[in-house]
Amino acid sequence: MTKLTLYEEAMCCSTGVCGPDPDDELVEVSAALDQLEAEFDIEVSRANMQHDIDQFLETQRIADLVDEHGPSILPIMVLDDEIIAKSAYLSYDELAAEIREKQNAPQEA
Amino acid sequence: MSMDTTPREIVEPSNEDTEFVFFSGKGGVGKSTVSCATATWLADNDYETLLVTTDPAPNLSDIFGQGIGHEVTAIEGIENLSAIEIDPDTAAEEYRQETIEPMRQLLDDEQIETVEEQLNSPCVEEIAAFDNFVDFMDSPDYDVVVFDTAPTGHTIRLMELPSDWNAELEKGGSTCIGPAASMEDKKIQYERAIDTLQDDERTSFAFVGKPEDSSLDEIERSGADLGELGIESQLLVINGYLPESVCEDPFFKGKREDERAAIERAKAEFDADAMATYPLQPGEIAGLDLLSDVAGVIYDGEEPTVDVGSATDVETDQSVDTDALADPASIADRVTPGAETRYLFFTGKGGVGKSTIAAASATKLAEAGYETLVVTTDPAAHLEDIFGEPVGHEPTSVGQANLDAARIDQEKALDEYRTQVLDHVTEMYEDKEDTEIDVEAAIANVEEELESPCAEEMAALEKFVSYFQADGYDVVVFDTAPTGHTLRLLELPSDWKGFMDLGSLTKGAAPAKGDKYDEVIETMQNPEKSSFAFVMYPEYTPMMEAYRAAEDLNDQVGIETAFVVANYLLPTEYGNNAFFANRRAQQEKYLGEIKDRFETPLMCAPLRQDEPVGLEELSAFGDEIAGLSDIPEREPEVTVS
Repeated sequence: MTKLTLYEEAMCCSTGVCGPDPDDELVEVSAALDQLEAEFDIEVSRANMQHDIDQFLETQRIADLVDEHGPSILPIMVLDDEIIAKSAYLSYDELAAEIREKQNAPQEA
Repeated sequence: MSMDTTPREIVEPSNEDTEFVFFSGKGGVGKSTVSCATATWLADNDYETLLVTTDPAPNLSDIFGQGIGHEVTAIEGIENLSAIEIDPDTAAEEYRQETIEPMRQLLDDEQIETVEEQLNSPCVEEIAAFDNFVDFMDSPDYDVVVFDTAPTGHTIRLMELPSDWNAELEKGGSTCIGPAASMEDKKIQYERAIDTLQDDERTSFAFVGKPEDSSLDEIERSGADLGELGIESQLLVINGYLPESVCEDPFFKGKREDERAAIERAKAEFDADAMATYPLQPGEIAGLDLLSDVAGVIYDGEEPTVDVGSATDVETDQSVDTDALADPASIADRVTPGAETRYLFFTGKGGVGKSTIAAASATKLAEAGYETLVVTTDPAAHLEDIFGEPVGHEPTSVGQANLDAARIDQEKALDEYRTQVLDHVTEMYEDKEDTEIDVEAAIANVEEELESPCAEEMAALEKFVSYFQADGYDVVVFDTAPTGHTLRLLELPSDWKGFMDLGSLTKGAAPAKGDKYDEVIETMQNPEKSSFAFVMYPEYTPMMEAYRAAEDLNDQVGIETAFVVANYLLPTEYGNNAFFANRRAQQEKYLGEIKDRFETPLMCAPLRQDEPVGLEELSAFGDEIAGLSDIPEREPEVTVS
């Protein structure tokens, strides 16, 4: 199964529906992830700095990036072992394309 | 009310399981007294008892005459009784620090500060507060745990983990109440706590209130709220009725009759299994003798002891000259609009009479010629009763020239907010034609999110903010202002924006709404434009609660208190006996303390035999309040030729 992991900044609700305005970008991301999970054989997990700091610390690559660039490097999106986005969320279409590519690629020996 | 159960049966453990007793009620009604009396009584009856208070200004130490603090402490002289005082602020701070600590490895000080600021959200406070209950809901060492406060319907709903949050957990995202990873454990704990709360064999919910319609209305509302969550209110304790023997003149005889009527009404209407009453004492209730008197009356059906003849227990050097404390000129200055619209906020806990004070102030301002709007955000909204005129969601005249009134209808406000958010999200997707995203599913997702209690709070705030754009008024009077906590919610988007500006998430174009809120907050922070007044009556708990709320407002949002309203001051022409002399001396002592603590002008309002109803009575009431009778007439409009 393909794994999609998001490393995100400290935030209260990752759904984006919190506070006076919904956060458009987070609303979109949440919806996109839901749909990707339904359509593809993938496992999505989201780690944000406020709640899942351990996942940052345990993943050396991510910890180094944040240490070097500060939280502005976030969000980082990782598909299996490949970093597919830094400092930005990919849209549904972009993510779907990445996943198709990954899943159609011949398995490495 | 079916009275087939006794208060005793309600609080006594029914089997081997630990029993939990929660006392709920507004500050100043004697909730701590009743909790302490209950805990002491249970301990005296050989139950191993723990008393937990989460009151930020606890007075357990005064009541038991010993220091307690945030460790479980054995109470001297009472076998089987221990107590603990939890400071909710400390608890929230601990929660925050635990969260932040590991981030220090990755982030520098400035970045940490931003995260810290963000964690200063009302959600975090609420979670930390609920954790305080949860921590003690697994206490096998005790036969019974008595809490001198209870989670509200709002908190419980927040903690109930709605289905969308469960879905969020599975995905590993985060919710308002915490990280998915650590939530897995918490989830079980929270669910168990809520099951226990709903199990009336193990948990008793009791309300403490005053023999007044407004106090009982409030209890009925909270009770209904809990009822919807499957939590039954089992016991109602009405505390502080006037003893018959001290009511010797028409003023207090009349008051006593009103109290009897309120008690009868509670018996007839309130859906609890049992009810008990306890009289007002000439002084504050402290010491084991009085506690055992309270418990004896509630649980053993004894007659209360009221020592009405005792000399004053307040030392004379603590009492103060009330007339010298009032400062009419400063008050008038702080309520009267200048060149721009003035926003006048009356805030305070339920039952302190702030709606009446707000209505009287609005009436006097309108009489002085200012175009005035008075708005209530209180769901109880008895502005209608006060003016004797219908008051709706949109401002309408209440019969006095220059005076309009409005009340925020929660349901309507929530509908408006929902529609607005969903329209916004729909529109957002309309602009993205090239996507393969399932827009309907995405919108349904958001719709589900809007079922949260946060959405209700936001909806009320939205409406509140809209009154800042009400044109054509010289002064807008709010009965019930939002708290520092709630205002933090308004501030969050701008913090959030600041955080984003650090570089990463671009929130898109700066939202116009964020700017609107910034403007509202700026208006509220400006003493030339806004005045925040805290309404209270001069007793310990109401004073401390108001003081804490005022500090919160200052710390969290940078709003200073403009003045304090001391309400329900005992008249000097009635109640000519030792009982009222003691009560009066006690009020004077607290008036002095209020003055020292708040360091603001004081508006003094007298206790009336009946609450004023209608414009004429409101106007007369206003005349009795130093400051309101001194509002200068509005200068006639200067016409430019």
